[in-house]
Amino acid sequence: MNYTRRTWLTAAGAVGFSAALTRCGGGDPLAPATTDAASAPLADAARSTRTAPTVVKSTTGRVVIVGGGMAGMAAAKYLRVWGGSGVQVTLLERNASYTSNILSNLVLTGQRTLSSLVYSYATAKQAYGIDIQQGAVTAIDPINRTVAVAGRTTPLQYDRLIVAPGVMFDTLIGLESPEAKDRVVHAWQAGPETTKLRNQLVAMPDGGTFVMTIPKAPYRCPPGPYERACVVADWLMRNKPKSKVIVLDANPMPTAERHTFETAFYGIFANILTYVPNVSISSIDATGARVVVHTTVVPDGPVDFIGDVVNAIPPQRAGKVVLENGLAPGGLWAPVKPATFESTVAAGVHVIGDSCSTASAVLPAGVPKAGHIGNQEGKTAADAIIRAFRGLAPDTDVVINSACYSPITASTASWLTAVYQYDASGNGYRMVNAPASEATNPTADGYQDMNTWFNTLMGETFA
Amino acid sequence: MTTTRRFMCGLAAVAAALLAPPAPAQTTAPPEGRLLASNCFQCHGTDGRRGFEQINGKSQTEIYSKLKEMQSKQPGSGDWDIMVPHAKGYSDAQLLKISQYLSTIR
Repeated sequence: MNYTRRTWLTAAGAVGFSAALTRCGGGDPLAPATTDAASAPLADAARSTRTAPTVVKSTTGRVVIVGGGMAGMAAAKYLRVWGGSGVQVTLLERNASYTSNILSNLVLTGQRTLSSLVYSYATAKQAYGIDIQQGAVTAIDPINRTVAVAGRTTPLQYDRLIVAPGVMFDTLIGLESPEAKDRVVHAWQAGPETTKLRNQLVAMPDGGTFVMTIPKAPYRCPPGPYERACVVADWLMRNKPKSKVIVLDANPMPTAERHTFETAFYGIFANILTYVPNVSISSIDATGARVVVHTTVVPDGPVDFIGDVVNAIPPQRAGKVVLENGLAPGGLWAPVKPATFESTVAAGVHVIGDSCSTASAVLPAGVPKAGHIGNQEGKTAADAIIRAFRGLAPDTDVVINSACYSPITASTASWLTAVYQYDASGNGYRMVNAPASEATNPTADGYQDMNTWFNTLMGETFA
Repeated sequence: MTTTRRFMCGLAAVAAALLAPPAPAQTTAPPEGRLLASNCFQCHGTDGRRGFEQINGKSQTEIYSKLKEMQSKQPGSGDWDIMVPHAKGYSDAQLLKISQYLSTIR
């Protein structure tokens, strides 16, 4: 998409006053004035205890959200909770329901069913008056502020757009064919592939080898692959004790909870699990009786790893709708202004969740891609949009927090937490007291806390 | 783009002044601390009512002093839990805003 040319054309052509007005961040000033009291059921509860201003400017505006995951749903909910009924929210989602990636590693060990991770859109739709529609966005026009939806003739108009499609997976060399894709799954998007990998592990003979590969950061859920290695190793130790686990990591060390995972890999799982860092995968051959992973390991050189079950988590990038609409000029992630998550290349378009990047040359790490964080990015974007509709400057006292529990065995879990402070330079977020803190050791109490955390986070996002 | 937009917005503002009734005299800023405190809701539920522990509706002093107490704990101590390093990530001014906001919601 050529923004420069289209911008010029827009400037040269006539832009209606109404369109220009909505782009000034003031909503529609000609709409009948309403007070916040009109949105009482949704209004911020704090108002009841504060001195009511004599004149309250209404918050009105149309927001379209693409993607109903952890980030998109949090944004939708808080636009209504904080913005009131004057903020119209339409959320487009391809699937009829959401399946949580969080805790989906426990489907592999049979401790959870996939259906226990499914969340309906009906609750939030009803509770918050969010217009949730099943559909796929085909094109974004940030100049005229419309999105085209597959199978519909009329595009949707917006004042602000939020794009939250999650990640797209690269195809590893050798896995291009449908047969190879069917044999070597990533299961990094909870769903049919999760069930497939579970079935492969169940069918694997005792004495078999499970090989998994981890891409270079950033990818979705930093501790997730190491968590998977642990819970699968734990399950194999109890169910197929002659088996082996080989973890091939493109990174030089675990990218999260290093203490927890290294202690587990070299401690309780030392006899079953081999952890190999600094691995780059050349190709995967899924045509023979066993799957061969051709790699180059630093400093050893070329090494082939052979598995009965191979679980290759490929490198990831922003969702298709982000890439196809020019929101990720570098071809990987969508750069955003960190305080508001507004795209740096398209005004009025906010990209949140796993697809965006808050990284900059000054603060190159960016906040991690994770569900708990995506939820907060949704709230941050919602707050910024409501402020814009009210003609207010964005808040710059912004914090994105991370808290996460990881199962290590069938009955223990660890935790990590990190706090990311918005940097006054505007260059991104800075982790306070880096590295992130983690549990001293995985415990049974931690496992209970993990379930509390998960249920609360999902309730906060979907109910 | 920016210049054009500013120009158009300027025009629009003039038009709005001519066509519309006087703009409301006051714009409401969101309550102080609301966005910061929303970081608590992933684990303590919407409006701080669920999850690990109810955190809404207590006095600001109670919430603030609890957070300060967490900040004072050291790694390796018996009561080192997830909230300790978490609380350490916020400035004093932020903890005051968070506790103030949480004290106002029910």
